[in-house]
Amino acid sequence: MVADVIEHLVSGIVDNPDDVEVQEKNLRRGLLYEVRVHPSDLGKVIGRSGRTATAIRTVAGVLAGDGGARIDFVDVDRRR
Amino acid sequence: MTTEQDTASTTDTDAVADTEPEATEATEATEAVSAGAESAETEADGTDADAAVVAGDGSDQPSRRERLENEGDVAADFLEELLDIADLDGDIDMDVDGNRASVSIVGGDLDELVGPQGEVLEALQELTRLAVFRETGERSRLMLDVAGFRAQRRAELVDVATQAIAEVQASGETLKLSPMSPFERKVVHDAVADAGLRSESEGVEPRRCVVVLPAEPA
Repeated sequence: MVADVIEHLVSGIVDNPDDVEVQEKNLRRGLLYEVRVHPSDLGKVIGRSGRTATAIRTVAGVLAGDGGARIDFVDVDRRR
Repeated sequence: MTTEQDTASTTDTDAVADTEPEATEATEATEAVSAGAESAETEADGTDADAAVVAGDGSDQPSRRERLENEGDVAADFLEELLDIADLDGDIDMDVDGNRASVSIVGGDLDELVGPQGEVLEALQELTRLAVFRETGERSRLMLDVAGFRAQRRAELVDVATQAIAEVQASGETLKLSPMSPFERKVVHDAVADAGLRSESEGVEPRRCVVVLPAEPA
C-alpha cells in the first residue's frame, strides 16, 4: 500500500509519470522504498532544499505506520 | 472598477508585475518563485483581491473563478485517489475562498492526515499544489484542510491575536508572538489589520514570528 501511495504522489507531480517506479526493499534496518524517476524529474521530486522529498516522506511515513518509511529517490538510469 | 495603479501601489512584487492587464498569473508566479511560498502567503495576500477583479473583467480567458474551480477539481482528483489507495474514508469539499481554491477532506478518521501540529497536512497541501501546477501550468496557492483542522486553528489564532491586540493597545509597545507557520501568521496578520494595527513577521522559518506594532501616533 505504501509503495502505491508513493507512486501516486510522485506520479502526480512529475512530467514523466510513466517512468515512475517504486520498489519495496526489505533490508535489515527495515523497509526501504526506492523511487525511480526520469532523470529530468529528479529535481522536481526533491524540490527546493529537499522540500518536496520531505513532504513525500512525511505523507508516506504517516501512512506506513510504526517507524515510518525510508525513501530513496534515484533516477531511472542509476542501477545498484 | 479597479485600476492598475491601485494594485501596483500595494506591494513590491505586484508593482513589478502589474504592468499588463493579465498580470495576475505573472504576479503569482513571481511571488512563488522569487519570494518563496512563505512570504508570498503572508505579505502579498491582502492585495490580490483587487488584482482578481481586474482579471475577472478580462476578455475571452477563463475567469479567475473558473480557473480556481479547475484547480479545486484537479486537487480533488489527486486527493480522492490518494484516499482510495490508502484505504481512508473521506469526502472532498471544494470551494473558492476569496482569491484561492479551497479544498477540504472531511469525515472518517483523518487524524493521520493532519499529523502533529498539522505537519502532514502541510506536506499534503504542498504536494497537492505541485500536482495542480503539473496539470494547469500555474502555481497554485490552494488551501487544503483536513477534518476541519485549519478552521479550528484559525479560531484559536483569532483569540491569540485579539489578546495581543488588546495588550499592544494598552501598553503601546510592540509584542512578539510565538513562532507560527505561514498559514498561522496570515490569520494573525489579517486579524491585526482588521483591528487597525500593523504587524510584521521576523525571524527565519520555522521560528518566524508575528510582531504586532502599536498604532502610530496621529
